Amino acid sequence: MATDNEKDLLESLAEEEYKYGFTTDIETEFITKGLSEEIVRTISEKKGEPEWMTERRLQAFRHWQTMKLPTWAHLDIPEIDFQEIIYYAAPKPKKPLGSMDEVDPELKRTFDKLGIPLEEQMALAGVAVDAVMDSVSVKTTFRETLAEKGIIFCSISEAIREYPELIQKYLGSVVPYTDNFYAALNAAVFSDGSFCYIPKGVRCPMELSTYFRINAAGTGQFERTLIVADEGAYVSYLEGCTAPQRDENQLHAAVVEIVVERDAEVKYSTVQNWYPGDKEGKGGVYNFVTKRGLCRENAHLSWTQVETGSAITWKYPSCVLLGDNSSGEFYSVAMTNNYQQADTGTKMIHLGRNTRSRIVSKGISAGKSQNAYRGLVRVSKGAEGARNYSQCDSLLIGDQCGAHTFPEIDCRNRTAILEHEATTSKISDEQLFYCNQRGLSTEDAVGVIVNGYAREVLQKLPMEFAVEAQKLLALQLEGSVG
Amino acid sequence: MTIYEYIESIKEQPACLGGVLRFEGTNDQVQVLDGANKRITLAADARCKLLVVHRTAQNVSMEVELGERAVLTMAVLYPENGVGAEGKVQVVQQEASRLQMTALQLASSTLQVEVDLVARDAESVVNALFAIGAEEQSRLSIRTNHRSSDCRSSSVVRGLAGGKAVGAFDGMVYVAPDAQRTDAFQQNRNMLLSETARIDTKPQLEIYADDVKCSHGATVGQMDNEAIYYMRQRGLDEQQARRLQLTGFADDLVMRCGCEQLCELLMEELNHKLDRI
Amino acid sequence: MLKVTNLHATVDGKEILRGINLEVKAGEVHAIMGPNGSGKSTFASVLAGNEKFTVTEGSVEFLGEDLLDLSIEDRARKGLFLGFQYPVEIPGVTMANFMKLAVNEQRKYRGEEPLTAAEYLKLMREKAKVVELDTKMTSRAVNEGFSGGEKKKNEIFQMAMLDPKLAILDETDSGLDIDALRVVATGVTKLHTAENATVVITHYQRLLDYIVPDYVHVLYKGRIIYSGDRSLALKLEKEGYDWLINDLKE
Repeated sequence: MATDNEKDLLESLAEEEYKYGFTTDIETEFITKGLSEEIVRTISEKKGEPEWMTERRLQAFRHWQTMKLPTWAHLDIPEIDFQEIIYYAAPKPKKPLGSMDEVDPELKRTFDKLGIPLEEQMALAGVAVDAVMDSVSVKTTFRETLAEKGIIFCSISEAIREYPELIQKYLGSVVPYTDNFYAALNAAVFSDGSFCYIPKGVRCPMELSTYFRINAAGTGQFERTLIVADEGAYVSYLEGCTAPQRDENQLHAAVVEIVVERDAEVKYSTVQNWYPGDKEGKGGVYNFVTKRGLCRENAHLSWTQVETGSAITWKYPSCVLLGDNSSGEFYSVAMTNNYQQADTGTKMIHLGRNTRSRIVSKGISAGKSQNAYRGLVRVSKGAEGARNYSQCDSLLIGDQCGAHTFPEIDCRNRTAILEHEATTSKISDEQLFYCNQRGLSTEDAVGVIVNGYAREVLQKLPMEFAVEAQKLLALQLEGSVG
Repeated sequence: MTIYEYIESIKEQPACLGGVLRFEGTNDQVQVLDGANKRITLAADARCKLLVVHRTAQNVSMEVELGERAVLTMAVLYPENGVGAEGKVQVVQQEASRLQMTALQLASSTLQVEVDLVARDAESVVNALFAIGAEEQSRLSIRTNHRSSDCRSSSVVRGLAGGKAVGAFDGMVYVAPDAQRTDAFQQNRNMLLSETARIDTKPQLEIYADDVKCSHGATVGQMDNEAIYYMRQRGLDEQQARRLQLTGFADDLVMRCGCEQLCELLMEELNHKLDRI
Repeated sequence: MLKVTNLHATVDGKEILRGINLEVKAGEVHAIMGPNGSGKSTFASVLAGNEKFTVTEGSVEFLGEDLLDLSIEDRARKGLFLGFQYPVEIPGVTMANFMKLAVNEQRKYRGEEPLTAAEYLKLMREKAKVVELDTKMTSRAVNEGFSGGEKKKNEIFQMAMLDPKLAILDETDSGLDIDALRVVATGVTKLHTAENATVVITHYQRLLDYIVPDYVHVLYKGRIIYSGDRSLALKLEKEGYDWLINDLKE
């Protein structure tokens, strides 16, 4: 990124407190709060799901009831009353949607405020957006262009109706409902999400992107994403989140599953900017996410994430390297400020031969926040020639925050070569002085230094995302120095 | 002299007996401890050298307090053919005290070391090596708590596992709020020597102060075949080349134990084990 | 001393050497030149016995014995020394220790008594002088943290210590500045006698200003396509390999 660009970014953030903190006034349909078999059935019914899907949800629900909240993370989580949550809220469309013009004008205005190019701009940006507002997919664009190549990109609800064989084959195949507490919850009550299928040998010609937004007050968001890249396919998928400012805590428990078949490649990028709560630590989103990809022979999966939002983040995008010669990557910047807490990292499970993985994690803690990297690199007995390189750095800004590193290496094959490095540092007074002397304000200096620190990860993001991510990092740092 | 001969030779030393030990002044000779629970205190400015040998299955729990400017050089040894003993060493360090600990696990064993640096300028060096084979299992945990500002800690841990051995290392550097200007270093390197051995390592950091210099690293690898080829090209046979590589991997850690006499005793034990691993 | 006949070798099933013939007699210096990827380093590795390569055809006779039958270390003990293009780092093992083992293994092979510590130290000091090596270097771990020049000097120091019959120096000049090159090359020249032989593998003729070869061979696509005297190296320096390669095509 050019210096000029950085300066612009830093300047533009001066005015904003929480830019994306506004509420869209659309009619929303709720169901009663709380969770029971009855509610699960109602959700399934509202979505017009076939019987087998309802059964799957109920199975997951029954299992969830037997599970306990995980407590191993380095997080202080306030008690969540799962019966106080509304599990379904769908914006009521004013009339059936036929064309772009028919999209709810309120909704369009919201997207405009977010700067999401939903209409022609999207064509110029080369991005197809499946915009998920609260829970129901409202508008999916570029379907036709994608359809020509046989690419399916639609809401998961639609996919359940239209492509039952694909859903039955792949849904829950990477993250089964038995995986963890939140994955089970999601499997029971997931409201909507995206489904993407790239057929054999097809390179998706554009970056697919979904913007998630939490909108209605007090509504849990349970997104379900399933991406399947069939043999030799390629797709780059972008997920961005912004959420309006709220006083009440909101629960978010998404599941993302990725299947990368033989010789296929998937890049998954996220900028996560849910509402982090105010300076006193009031409000903010609780973000419990399960993300995992399965790589077959020769497949490649790359996770890139910039995590700046949420009051609590619990998230470990992982790669199961099942096929020989498959590879996985995880690039992460996680920034916490004020009272935010993040416990995030990855798991690289090496099962196939000559599997490779690379982890680059950059944590930035400011204010009174707690930021932890947690990772696992496991090499199973049969994973001949496995390689991993991990680099986990922490940057501390201020003396009231915490930065923690909890990596684990479990190696059962002697031909593996695994390396882990970690450092913890702060922005030095010399660096600040140097920048000040060249005319930068301390705040700008911190912005520049932080962006430099996170550069290796930011570079992995698609261009338009990289710009947004830089903005968010600087935005998040406001008031943390001086 | 082997450790056992050494223990024989100093048997009369009264300092080694009893559950509570207090050292003052400078004690040049290496004191040998084994057996029961121990409380060890080094008075201010005291210097002492200790060797703890776990010869029996008896669990040993030690509490060590280092007074101001006290210097303790200590080694903990689980000799080859040991019997799965468990050991726990808790050390509290006062201002400007210095701990130099070297642990050697040459058999199935569990060792927990916890060091609290409670006053400024305290320095702790805890190095450890496990070399295990067959069905042996060793567990090692080293926790260093920086509870005061201006303290330094360093931990170098090496692991060698052959046969069906399982070696586990759990490291934690904790830096309390206000423990500013902490300098903490942790390094863990492991070598797997067989198809069936396993290494599990967790080098962790938990940091609540910002003016700190903390770094850690961990690697798992194997014998370097290039190096073996290189050594054979200079005329060493394969076994010699392998053995030399093990020596290179393990030796310096023991060499740095801070006391020549301890070093000799430990080297003998180590070499014996490395010949058989 | 060395007689290579129709040597073929493969790596991962790919044929790299396709019938090399070469004879080296005591007292001679041979230079092997050739473009990148022609098989120069492979040839050196195969002679040393690197297990990455498989010999598929041909024979190599060394001091009247079948070289290919010997293990890597026995070839070394018999007096074949390979100066590595990329000397390997051996962490934690000091140079002094490593060489002591190597020297004594060689002596054992010849049925000689091992050197005493004092004899060994004396030998080390003497040989260190040949390559202007600071004896302090010998207390450092083998090649660990050495600069490019130090590594190459160290190779020649080891060659001096082991006093080989045949030294094969693989790109010993690569990555050296002019001073280091002079030291290394002078060392090699000093070690050369009427009883031993040297094969220098190099890219550049500049090394041959110091180590004057009796024969220059051009290796191309796994074969020696041309041999000449010293003037060939000068001609190659000026005109490149194209004229030879084109010749070959015609």
